[in-house]
Amino acid sequence: MTSKITNRIALSVIVLCALVMTATLAALLGYILYHGLSAISLSFLTKDSSSFQAGGGIKNQLWNSFYILFATMLFTVPLGLCGGIYLSEYAKPNKLTHFIRSCVEVLASLPSIVVGMFGLLIFVNYFGWQYSILSGALALTVFNLPVIVRVTEDALQSVPRELREGGLALGVTQWHTIKTIVVPAAFPGILTGIILSAGRVFGESAALLFTAGLSTPNLDFSNWNPMSMTSPLNPFRSAETLSVHIWQVNTAGITPDIQTIANGSSAVLVLCVLGFNLFARIVGKFIDRKLTGKA
Amino acid sequence: MNQVYIKQNVEESHQNMKKASPVLEVKDLNIYYGDHHAVKHINMPIEEKSITALIGPSGCGKSTFLRTINRMNDLIHGARSEGEILYGGINLLTSKVDVVQLRKEIGMVFQRPNPFPKSIYENLVLSLKFSGIRDKKKLKDIAEDCLRKAALWDEVKDRLDKSALSLSGGQQQRLCIARALALKPKVLLLDEPSSALDPVSSSKIEELLLKLKEEYTIVIVTHNMQQAARIADKTAFFYQGELVEYGDTSQMFSHPAEKRTEDYISGRFG
Repeated sequence: MTSKITNRIALSVIVLCALVMTATLAALLGYILYHGLSAISLSFLTKDSSSFQAGGGIKNQLWNSFYILFATMLFTVPLGLCGGIYLSEYAKPNKLTHFIRSCVEVLASLPSIVVGMFGLLIFVNYFGWQYSILSGALALTVFNLPVIVRVTEDALQSVPRELREGGLALGVTQWHTIKTIVVPAAFPGILTGIILSAGRVFGESAALLFTAGLSTPNLDFSNWNPMSMTSPLNPFRSAETLSVHIWQVNTAGITPDIQTIANGSSAVLVLCVLGFNLFARIVGKFIDRKLTGKA
Repeated sequence: MNQVYIKQNVEESHQNMKKASPVLEVKDLNIYYGDHHAVKHINMPIEEKSITALIGPSGCGKSTFLRTINRMNDLIHGARSEGEILYGGINLLTSKVDVVQLRKEIGMVFQRPNPFPKSIYENLVLSLKFSGIRDKKKLKDIAEDCLRKAALWDEVKDRLDKSALSLSGGQQQRLCIARALALKPKVLLLDEPSSALDPVSSSKIEELLLKLKEEYTIVIVTHNMQQAARIADKTAFFYQGELVEYGDTSQMFSHPAEKRTEDYISGRFG
């Protein structure tokens, strides 16, 4: 009898926790979308932001966010993959690899504002790249690299040992086994992890405040010469991203429609991150089905 | 039932006596895991184009011994081996041996079917592509040949591009055997290949092995004594890391020389 009661109490507590979590998310999303969706329009998404008049858009900020995300992924994915493969497949359990693993963990738990200050010192000042897309992307690389390493290592670890042995027993070298059997088998997990981390990078602001800057030069979207200062592609120009824009508008904005812009930007940001998550799930499921032949 | 098989085996092994010559010669083999002495002073030949069964209770070292022949045990942290396994006069256990080349000549099939999560065709040609064969026609021919040898061709010929994981357990295991044949190995090592399968799939594997031994030398670890009696020409009984008895299967199952062998095959322990 008592064990039955204990069981019920435990179950209710767990269900309650789950409810609180879901409710929080629903309330937050509902609030942001309720206030923000009405602010989103085609002109809001395609107009330049204005510094003191009402009716500014977020075109440049949106572009910057995606550009920095792309640049960050360009640095992190190859590095993170290699790191993850090393830790999972080659690293022998000894002091050195233990140390490397601790470093990855510490790096993953660094507050992003600290990463931003580090970026300011190294990339912005020491290397003299100023507030730029490059500095921002490199700071975000520091921020995102440990996540990708971890995700890769975990995904590879979940590949059964039998598959590795199967490859080696066929007279295939370790590297070729990893390349053609283990990594493809872990690919859905790795890809899902990468896309989810993209959501985190996309919404990051603190690490960018002092690295990518708080302003964007006037961009000419017909000029695709990456060396030109007004080109959207120039990696050496400063770039205010969407989440930095939300912070900036709220703390220092002087336009009359601050509230609308902040609401609209937040809704766009949240929708993008939601989109990443959904995309990750769909892609992961699709590949998994293809590999296991259930499609 | 067993009697009949044993009789067949007697006749077969008599035929084998004439043509048989050892392809592998194990000399004073010792295998250790750290301080644990897992396999002790093994001496035995493995004869060409015949089936040698390794039997014994769990943990007796038979799988360890099998995995040492193609150096798969190198992958286990702390495992080391002493002694000799001679293959064409070369000791396989020295560091000079190219294990990649060795595993091409001595193939292996594992207890649990381990098809790669790729198409059936890709499973078969993966090792060939690694060996540098690029000719599509040639790859296709070898794949078909292997599938026919593994008695799987008729079941999968229309869906070679489907995932190997869509096959049943028994089909997966025959695919793994077919995959191992692609490189034309001399020796095929099988580590309890049918223990994870249902009886029908299991008997298909046995039929297959009896056919394959005309071309390949087969060493099989099995927990199933009837299986050993049905298909093996030679049987080796392992107990606590030692090779207790080695000889003709029919001989061992009808007149075991050692008391421990008799106790094990009559089901008194193990």
